[in-house]
Amino acid sequence: MTPLISFYFQVHQPYRLRDLRIDEIGCGEPQYFDASKNRAVFRKVAEKCYLPANRLMLELLESYPDFRISYSLSGMFLDQCREYGEDVLESFRKLVTTGRVELLAETYYHSLSSLKSLAEFVTQVRKHTEAIQVLFGKTPSVFRNTELIYRNEIAHVARLMGFRGILAEGADHLLRGRSPNEPFLPPTFRLSRDREGIIRKLRPLPRPAEQIHVLLKNYRLSDDVAFRFSDKSWVGFPLHAETFTDWLTGSGGHCVNLFMDYETFGEHQWADTGIFDFLRALPRIWQERGIRTATPSEVLAAWQREPKSTQRYDAHNFISWADMERDLSAWQGNRIQGAALDAVYALEHAVKATGNPLLLEYWRRLQTSDHFYYMSTKYWSDGDVHKYFSPYESPYEAYRRYSHALCDLRQRVAAETGSTPKKATRRKQR
Amino acid sequence: MQLHTLMFGWEYPPHHSGGLGVACQGLVRGLQKQSVRVTLVLPHNLGEADEGVDVRYPTEELRALVKVPSILNPYDGFRSYGERWHTDHIAKDNPHLYGPNLAAAVEQFTAMSVEMTKDVDADVVHCHDWMTYEAGNRAAIHHDIPLVAHIHATEFDRTDFHPNPWIAERERKGLLQADRIIAVSDYTKRLLITHYGIPGDKIAVVHNGHEQPADVPPPSLLSRYGSRKHPLVLFLGRLTVQKNPWQFLEVACRVHAHRPEVEFVMAGDGPMLPELIDRACECGLQDNVIFTGKLGQREVQALYQAADVFVMPSLSEPFGLVALEAIAHRTPVIVSKQSGVAEVLDHAFKVDYWDAAKMADCILTVLREEPLAEQLKAEAPRILQKLTWENQAGKVRSIYTHLLS
Repeated sequence: MTPLISFYFQVHQPYRLRDLRIDEIGCGEPQYFDASKNRAVFRKVAEKCYLPANRLMLELLESYPDFRISYSLSGMFLDQCREYGEDVLESFRKLVTTGRVELLAETYYHSLSSLKSLAEFVTQVRKHTEAIQVLFGKTPSVFRNTELIYRNEIAHVARLMGFRGILAEGADHLLRGRSPNEPFLPPTFRLSRDREGIIRKLRPLPRPAEQIHVLLKNYRLSDDVAFRFSDKSWVGFPLHAETFTDWLTGSGGHCVNLFMDYETFGEHQWADTGIFDFLRALPRIWQERGIRTATPSEVLAAWQREPKSTQRYDAHNFISWADMERDLSAWQGNRIQGAALDAVYALEHAVKATGNPLLLEYWRRLQTSDHFYYMSTKYWSDGDVHKYFSPYESPYEAYRRYSHALCDLRQRVAAETGSTPKKATRRKQR
Repeated sequence: MQLHTLMFGWEYPPHHSGGLGVACQGLVRGLQKQSVRVTLVLPHNLGEADEGVDVRYPTEELRALVKVPSILNPYDGFRSYGERWHTDHIAKDNPHLYGPNLAAAVEQFTAMSVEMTKDVDADVVHCHDWMTYEAGNRAAIHHDIPLVAHIHATEFDRTDFHPNPWIAERERKGLLQADRIIAVSDYTKRLLITHYGIPGDKIAVVHNGHEQPADVPPPSLLSRYGSRKHPLVLFLGRLTVQKNPWQFLEVACRVHAHRPEVEFVMAGDGPMLPELIDRACECGLQDNVIFTGKLGQREVQALYQAADVFVMPSLSEPFGLVALEAIAHRTPVIVSKQSGVAEVLDHAFKVDYWDAAKMADCILTVLREEPLAEQLKAEAPRILQKLTWENQAGKVRSIYTHLLS
């Protein structure tokens, strides 16, 4: 049987931090984020990726009535669209109006809140769902967590939030030889009454879903495009649309899930690698060969139409789509990352107690996963992707800026609530 | 293949342990581990040498034989020549006052070089810094074997880019005569290309290695500098323009403004000491800065161990072994970007030498954030496993092999 092809693209931009200095802490209201850098990066990526890729996608959607794709647009990306790129937002709107583009749900702040605070996690998913409803008039029904961070419990939280599907990495050690090319079910269990209560109170969708299916990324075929497309030392180089289509059909099963960063088109793989031509050729070949594309919720609908037994995907421990390890080590791999993460979530209660929307917004923007990714020292000396994608000189520079921002925020929160910040008292020992 | 290198050095521990001497000793020991025979020529009697090294130095008879009139200047005179040139107006106004003296001393060593090593059957000549270049050159011609010029520091580094033209020309000539140049960093390699016009493909980079110190200082020494109640920030190096101690005081002022309890130790001796003391008092740091003067090896180790942050703000540092020393003692380091050691350190803050505000900020961050300090302490020493003298000497050995093939 020919599998369905399901494309999902992640679209996200973090708010990078300014070169904050210690003497700005506690003096008025320092800017934490580097507006000119963020604008410059956004515009660069817009010109190289978002705008040309969206133009092409629109062209393909108009030319091939069966072509379907899906996106997850982080709230941080949407906020930056409003600041730096209404044109980009408009081009996404055009895609969505075709009716053949599905938008997925995620945490508004592209955060790691699923690891740290259930209430915050559900609140951020709700905020994102509401933003998608307001901006695009659509309600997501499939959830994807930041960087595909996943485990059984997150699937159940997503189900209780109302989602019918959730995306995850097709990790070899969990698949144990099985193909990732069909929807799976997480093992059934119940969350504690307290946790269920929190979700019920804050959930983005009116009622929980009865069942949630897991759609697994086919990482080999996804990464052939996302990472290896222009790698001249790769045995598959140069990759032609025909060959890739052969691989897709040869992969078999119900659906091949091609999940990747949208920046693959034009930013990670530059235009001169031929990535746009490759993408342009795919729907034509698929139409000729009778291969159909589907969005995640269509994949699930098709699966449920035909009665068959569904296998379990049992993720007791966390997985993600990051690095070779596909675990949490990209954000929690060293001491400074752990300290930063603990410190920002330690502020949750106090920030919320201020009721100050500005402080709340700052605190949430400081939760974006990229801040912690930049602090990774995993492959630092090998000049690996962490280095390539970091706007800072080093993981220590990332931590320096971050800890300053957090220090200042802590003081501002303390000033509003009238309490003395715990850490700051110890520090001010003059 | 058994290789034999004829090496010309200028200093060697314990006679003097500046960076050049320490590096030279490390390399000699590393080469021996790589089964390279070393014959080492020095301008002075070493006392006792490492086992297995054939050490030669000029004797009285030899001096009589080659009849060079002047005597060797004390080592320190040579070392501080560039600094005196820079700081001392007399030297600037009368460029020949020191010139002939220095020239004669170097010439004497040079003249005796061939005499001393006539019987040596070496495969390659390897010389360290400009004072030995001409000696190496003559020996290489005499034996008709390749010449390797190792550069540990340039005249530009020593003088804040106001070189004594006579020395710089001597360096340039020596470098051009060599068949292969070994620079201690990419930083130095770039400097040689830019300021000396040396072709880049002639220069190989071999970073300095590091030898783990064998003994740990007793606790009594540890508590001698700074009471352990207060954080301690350490500077260690000669108090000369190149090491930028003035900047360290600027940084100290800024740190002091936020954390008045922090103590600063400036370890080392040098011509800038009086003005630095004045400056420290001017800044109101008289109770916070300790000038230790020149220290022994064990005291230095105790300081490294006691420090919470080590700062190397050098204007232009070809390598900067002190940073590796500090790291070996598990002290977080902040180094000037204008240094060779910055190229090999992953777990450190790197700041432009002129950016006092940022240096102060990095210090304050390390002092405030315990997890950061802990991570720097734990992770930085990994580099030392890679940067052993045995490994680095292996790179030098393959340079020899390449020259001989």
